Amino acid sequence: MKLARRLGIGALALGLVAPFAGSPLRTQQRGLDLDSIARAIDEGSDHVSARQLAQWIRDRRPGLRVIDVRSSDAFREDAIPTAENLPIDQLAKSSFAPGQTIVLYSQEGAHAGQAWVMLRALGVTHAVFVPGGLADWRDEVLHPLLPADASPAERALIADLSRYFGGSPRIEGSQGGAGTASTAHGLRRRGC
Amino acid sequence: MNDLLIAGGIGVAFGCALECAGLGDPPKLAGQFYLRDFTVLKVMLSAMLTATLGVFWGARLGMLDLGALYVPETYLLPQGVGGLVFGVGFVLSGLCPGTSCVALASGRIEGAATILGLFAGVLTVGLAFPAIEPFYRSTPHGPLTLQSLTGLPYGVVVAIVTVVGVSTLAWIAKREAGR
Repeated sequence: MKLARRLGIGALALGLVAPFAGSPLRTQQRGLDLDSIARAIDEGSDHVSARQLAQWIRDRRPGLRVIDVRSSDAFREDAIPTAENLPIDQLAKSSFAPGQTIVLYSQEGAHAGQAWVMLRALGVTHAVFVPGGLADWRDEVLHPLLPADASPAERALIADLSRYFGGSPRIEGSQGGAGTASTAHGLRRRGC
Repeated sequence: MNDLLIAGGIGVAFGCALECAGLGDPPKLAGQFYLRDFTVLKVMLSAMLTATLGVFWGARLGMLDLGALYVPETYLLPQGVGGLVFGVGFVLSGLCPGTSCVALASGRIEGAATILGLFAGVLTVGLAFPAIEPFYRSTPHGPLTLQSLTGLPYGVVVAIVTVVGVSTLAWIAKREAGR
């Protein structure tokens, strides 16, 4: 009887603490919700352009988490400022806080897209990826081609963003070495 | 092969626990239906508490992957009818499939009779399956859990189940002590 009472009290204690112990599920939902994936792809809420990402980083968007899914060697060579390296094989073992905006990128974008689906399978719905990857970052943010027909304000915006990250905008229609004038800046800032 | 050995070991341990609880004795089991003997309820409740708390805390501490657990699908009507048939057999023989093996192992002839009836039933359903399959698959509800049914967080469901289970066990203990 004494043992039974002790067991009962122990069970009661474990049971009553359970609501405050957090979720035992590693992620909210395992398995693919194909409908919501199709909707996200349809709406375009699955990706973000390199330029938009650059604005987010510059504006210090709260909860932004930029993840480079390439190998650590490639990451060390060149990466988007503020990014953290999380190779694709370590993705499933990581945890992602609900309030964050997770931005995935890879070299060209294919691996980041696949990583996006992996995160969806893990129940992470607050992630986006950069379709053109690091290549887009170089072409659109670091060395963007300033369109000749764009308004001066538009061109200034793109050029400002480029210089913020230490890049050099190219001017459409300029001969030979694109943007020779601006390469003089030569700034290469990494991180902020 | 290894899985079979583990399953065999767990089965023998389960049988031992049933025998220790006295569940190889048909009058004891039938007594539950007449509310004379609460051993069955005590065994079931303590098993449910152990499993509920074990699975929750095992998963919370990272020892168990909840995604790997199989939750059987619910077919409301056929399972209700099956439960009734099972209940009638249970109270008639005083044994369920598990305890019939225990009864036979401890030398009770009722155990052998129940096992015979069990296999006769399995064979009958198997032969009649093409005819009853539409009914077998009717009113499907997928894998149902208390969380999905009530919309409550997992931890809260665990707390409610624990409180109900422990207080019922305490009530039974008080009732038995009063005799």
